[in-house]
Amino acid sequence: MAEDPRRPTSWLLGRASLGLLLAVASILVLVISPLLGSVAIPARDVFQILLHELSGGALFAQPCAGTPTSPRLCGAYTVIVWQLLLPEIVLALIVGAALGVSGGALQGIFRNPLADPFLLGISSGGTIGAAVLYVYRIEVAEADVYLPLFAFLGSVATGLVILGIARGRFSSVETLLLAGVALANLLSAILSVILLYNPNGSVQVTFWLLGGLGLATWTVDGIAFGAVVVLGSLLVLNGRELNLIQLGSEVAQSAGVDSRRVRLRVILLASMTTAVAVAFTGIIGFVGLVSPHIVRRLAGSDYRVVLPGAALVGAVFLLGARDISFLAFPGSDLPIGIFTAFAGVPFFLYLLYRQRRAVTMGGA
Amino acid sequence: MKGGTAGPCLRLQSVSVHYGERVAVNDLSLSVDPGEFVALTGPNGSGKTTVLRAVLGFHDPAQGSIELFGRPTADLSARERALKVAWVPQTESPRDNVRLYDYVLYGRFPFHGPLDAETQEDHAVVRRVLKEVGLADRSEDGVLSLSGGERQRAILARALAQSTPLLLLDEPTTHLDIGHQLDLLDRVRSLSRTRRVAVVAALHDLNLAARFADRIVVLSHGRRVADGTPSGVLSEELLARVWGVVADLELDRRTGLPYLVPRELSVDRPRSPTSPFVGPVHVVGGGGAATPILRALADEGYRLTAGVLHLLDSDQETAASLALPTALESPFAPIGPKARSQNRLLLEAARAIVVAPFAVGPSNLANLEDVRPFVPRVPTFLFRTPPIQERDFCDGRGEVAWRDLVAAGATEVDGFDGMSEGLGRLFSSPPATPPAARVAPAS
Repeated sequence: MAEDPRRPTSWLLGRASLGLLLAVASILVLVISPLLGSVAIPARDVFQILLHELSGGALFAQPCAGTPTSPRLCGAYTVIVWQLLLPEIVLALIVGAALGVSGGALQGIFRNPLADPFLLGISSGGTIGAAVLYVYRIEVAEADVYLPLFAFLGSVATGLVILGIARGRFSSVETLLLAGVALANLLSAILSVILLYNPNGSVQVTFWLLGGLGLATWTVDGIAFGAVVVLGSLLVLNGRELNLIQLGSEVAQSAGVDSRRVRLRVILLASMTTAVAVAFTGIIGFVGLVSPHIVRRLAGSDYRVVLPGAALVGAVFLLGARDISFLAFPGSDLPIGIFTAFAGVPFFLYLLYRQRRAVTMGGA
Repeated sequence: MKGGTAGPCLRLQSVSVHYGERVAVNDLSLSVDPGEFVALTGPNGSGKTTVLRAVLGFHDPAQGSIELFGRPTADLSARERALKVAWVPQTESPRDNVRLYDYVLYGRFPFHGPLDAETQEDHAVVRRVLKEVGLADRSEDGVLSLSGGERQRAILARALAQSTPLLLLDEPTTHLDIGHQLDLLDRVRSLSRTRRVAVVAALHDLNLAARFADRIVVLSHGRRVADGTPSGVLSEELLARVWGVVADLELDRRTGLPYLVPRELSVDRPRSPTSPFVGPVHVVGGGGAATPILRALADEGYRLTAGVLHLLDSDQETAASLALPTALESPFAPIGPKARSQNRLLLEAARAIVVAPFAVGPSNLANLEDVRPFVPRVPTFLFRTPPIQERDFCDGRGEVAWRDLVAAGATEVDGFDGMSEGLGRLFSSPPATPPAARVAPAS
């Protein structure tokens, strides 16, 4: 009783500060993202170009006017900002959202806070898909089309194998998780073999393994956006079911949740959402793992909130990781997957530390 | 509230459930009516939990059919089933510290499509069931902060929020202390009465079952071995046969309900070639003469009765410590008509009579005389050491009574061995002999 007045306060403070941090980070990330890229462009030009393009030419009819930038250079800047930078930023947001929402859904369905879109080997499957294309040089001329397609198919195929395991009458979520991890390792081994015997493809495949936004175009963004919105919405509709599944699949079943069907549905949707991300950006780790945790800390564990929340946080998180990569190594275009881990791991450890302390304090 | 339909809530017809090779439920038929409180009981592994799990669709029966309100469960979706039957598991471990109110609101799941918001009715139901389980003041707290007793009531509330006409409870009191056990089952029973919710509770505590259930169904090895009211079903014989426990059945004077006082294991550690629970053997004694006999016979596993014994007499104390049904008389008083008629009832029920070498005086001469009418029918063993002449303190009348017994066919024995041998022969019919003893002669 004595600690009651204290507990909600500290809890509220914890939430408020974290929420504030997130809001500030979001705005910051959205504002500075267009300024960062492999080519340094003056900020004023960037915003003028952006506003010019976004308003359909109504604003800043002559971008770069009043800046030292020559009209010719401004034309190049426009192409860079509008055709390269912005699609990349939008793709980061879309992929981050996809990874966040599928991470949240998988953590829910496996009742395991360490579940992650990549844990089950979905990404390894995608990489193999891409590697096969690279290594065997199938239709290299149209790599932009076939590469994502192969990666997508590889991921989905892996997802289907996991679903096949999940369909087994007696497979528990624990069995399924273990099977997924085993499958991921097997696929990594297969990938290693492919690369070992085909060293000529290994550079491009490494890009896949480390993840990057280099394939971004407005077309890619359009496809990714459509797919992620549809798949993500379908995932979010399972929030109520996921809430009950946290009590155990049998309790959920007794309360009216068709646990098995929900499990199949969520794994399929999450696999496909992840597959879309892998198809265009390769393996970007940690976003799917961290984002749901941040939302849970902020807004509680109602999956109807966790899933859309994880999409938002994932979007900001991935874009933020991209920004940090350019801030840390200006002008270079390092694989973004490296930076999600650099940014994510310390933050994740901090969250765990906070959570532990909260449990100790509230543990009456 | 619901389920006013005629016919049973739940009907199992020849249901068998297998776990691989093992038959967990074997050809079970059972029917539960609206508003009935049925306790499903039996030893561990008797299949009571499996029955509930089959009803909930966690196991598919290998044979037979299960119907909920006239509809085969196989045809019901999880949602449809959840509108007819709710489940209170033995324990539930929520992962997250969900607000109790939201946790109970989860019980309203079957009433919603994926895009529906909670309705006023949902909130009204949640508030009502929280009040009914006595947790209205904890509704804002996280479920992980609840105590064990509160947690179990929270689970009950979540199940009640489903507003089903049938509630299944699986050993809901296992993790609770005695006060919380009574509290929980009391709430369940009064809810079942006021809202006419049928309850099927797997309970291994027979006394709780007898206290709260309208009907007790006893399972053994997946089969139904008894079914009826608590007083009709519970018996020492059932306890021995199904649970392998020697227990005394007493009547709670206040409630009129039976309760069992377990004494010891019977089947798991047979102490003699004699199969337990043969009898009853009625022992006539007094003054301590019957004490070694009672002990020896109890050790050999016979079911015993005794009488007439005087209160405070050392034989009476022995009989009391073994919890034997005993015909009693006040200390030092002559054996009166009431005690004698009690004694005659015990003699009537006896399958053998043993007369201890007690001192016969005017106050207890009736003990010898009352045995006489039963001798022709019931094998009777008389301890003749020390001889009757040395312990007859009523002018030869004791000796006369003794000779009458012998003349009627009673067997005189010299000591324990003679008695044991005689009783052993008497009860050596096949069911009375354990398998080991039957196999032995073949080698």
